[in-house]
Amino acid sequence: MTTEGGVQYNKIAEIKGPLVIVGDVENAAFDELVEIETNEGERRLGKVLEVGFGKAIVQVFEGTNGLSIAGTNAKFVGKVMEMPVSKEVLGRVFDGLGRPKDGLPDPIADKFVDINGEPMNPEQREYPKDFIQTGVSVIDGLMTLVRGQKLPIFSGSGMSHNLLAAQIARQASVVGTQDDFAVVFAAIGVQYSEAEYFRRSLEESGALKRSVLFLNTADDPAIERIITPRVALTVAEYLAFDLGMHVLVVMTDMTNYAEALREISAAREEVPGRKGYPGYLYTDLSTIYERAGKLNGRKGSVTQVPILSMPSDDITHPIPDLTGYITEGQIVVGRDLFRQGIYPPINILMSLSRLMKDGIGEGSTRADHAEVANQVYDAYSRAQEVRALAGIVGKAGLTEIDLKYMDVGDIFEKEFLTQATDENRTIEETLGILWKIVSKLPKNEITKIKDKFVDQYYKEE
Amino acid sequence: MLAPNSSLEQSIDKILKKTEKEILSDLENSGSDSKHTLDNSLPKLEHEYDKIISDGKKEAEKIEKQIVGSSDLDVRNKQLLLLEEGVNKVFSKALDQIANTDRSGDYSNLIKTLLDEATKILGTTEVTVFTNDKDKDVVQAALSQFSGAELASDTIDCLGGIIIKSKDGAMTFNNTIDARIERLKPLIRKSIASTFGVGN
Repeated sequence: MTTEGGVQYNKIAEIKGPLVIVGDVENAAFDELVEIETNEGERRLGKVLEVGFGKAIVQVFEGTNGLSIAGTNAKFVGKVMEMPVSKEVLGRVFDGLGRPKDGLPDPIADKFVDINGEPMNPEQREYPKDFIQTGVSVIDGLMTLVRGQKLPIFSGSGMSHNLLAAQIARQASVVGTQDDFAVVFAAIGVQYSEAEYFRRSLEESGALKRSVLFLNTADDPAIERIITPRVALTVAEYLAFDLGMHVLVVMTDMTNYAEALREISAAREEVPGRKGYPGYLYTDLSTIYERAGKLNGRKGSVTQVPILSMPSDDITHPIPDLTGYITEGQIVVGRDLFRQGIYPPINILMSLSRLMKDGIGEGSTRADHAEVANQVYDAYSRAQEVRALAGIVGKAGLTEIDLKYMDVGDIFEKEFLTQATDENRTIEETLGILWKIVSKLPKNEITKIKDKFVDQYYKEE
Repeated sequence: MLAPNSSLEQSIDKILKKTEKEILSDLENSGSDSKHTLDNSLPKLEHEYDKIISDGKKEAEKIEKQIVGSSDLDVRNKQLLLLEEGVNKVFSKALDQIANTDRSGDYSNLIKTLLDEATKILGTTEVTVFTNDKDKDVVQAALSQFSGAELASDTIDCLGGIIIKSKDGAMTFNNTIDARIERLKPLIRKSIASTFGVGN
């Protein structure tokens, strides 16, 4: 934190969308924090996007509504935007810019940290391989999350991704260690009712104590959304790497973040890329997602679960497409399952956790985990084929084994996938259900599991 | 007359014996069926019992977590509010003292430092200087060292210090004591909090 004040420039050259162009500027720096003061003494925050030829382009976080060229001035604060951090942020609720929203005073800061974070030295990164239990069977069993991973949830408009996000935030824990665990929850452009649901849900479950909430609601200025994930990750990094906690960061909805980025890009008259998003969308998203990880010699970790709603359920849309290039797998929420009333409606055949193999097995979950998960994937995939076939030839035209696979598909959806929003299953319970599904198959169909595990866990009915 | 009756009785006896046998066998079967059902339901019952106990335990843990979590937070939040109250009291006392500081002696050095810092930041001494009523004389005396600097006739409302504005009106720099305190407020709060034993 600098103690020196900044120069106030009184000449506003232009106001354009979310941008203010300040004239006669000397000595401004890229990303510098700017305080815009209106005629009425109202203060808004912004940051410098470009400097040159005596002008500075300032992006105003709270929007430019009500600003006029005359009487508005811009104070260049002489530092980048910083977030005050300390252990006291746990249990607090902030707005999208990191200001208290719970009626309590600003936290007493241990230090002030640049919200853009410091890039992790790639050489110092430690390979993520420790299991995080979310209590959601389909995630823990078939697309296991590991500490330091970035695993996005691809959903669609109106589906139950926010319920799932809140459930993960409430239930997530690290097993087999006494290390502290914390959840940083960033709601980006969500409805007021959703923001309230997240807050209440954490409060009522007692999980707020170990959580930090950043709530940017749909009626907050869109530009604030650029900052929300960054302040959230700044706090997460402090908790992880300064205090040694394992931090799970849930960010919903990243599509709103990308929309805000598009708005700024359009106002800056940049050459648009796919669907009007800026050409640097990939690079920009990576500055957020790449803040997940573990560092050699440090105790804590930052794990990210960004949630994004795919416009028109289109997985080839630039946002999920570019997200998928950066992250380590994806969890896809399926419209068909959602319409059937299944919760959580996760389409396992389109989902994958790329780091799962290193986070499961003996010493982490259980020795048979990988094999039983593979067998269930295989069986459910076969069940889907059989269902398609039954749609053409009818059930009467199916063989006995086909009918068994159909049963397996039904049991999988009814008993494994379906889970109450407040049901927290342990990994043992999850593996137990997986074995129950496998046990519906005749032994000669079990090709992916070692005999010793079949002997131990298979229960013929 | 007896013969038909005895054959009737014989038939009745036969039927009774048969029925008795059937009833006894049915009773025996029912008994063994019931035993079998009871034997079968015992593990189910045990399983259900275990499930109810484990669900109950889970629910109890959930409620405990809920109660402990929310009361811990309540306590912490009350502590934060109390701390803030204390910090504000310290602040207002300090501000009172600053407002009533003696304007002689070291104070003129402070004004010189503030002017020097502000003109350096704006990069010019061609400035108009604003100050409050109390500091007018001290500032006027200090301005002799800054060629081109003029004291504005209007005064400003502040604890002390100066605001300078370039003569073309394009740039302003606020170097009042109020602005400096505002900038340093988070650090000062931390120091005050640590004297209360928080955040050490």
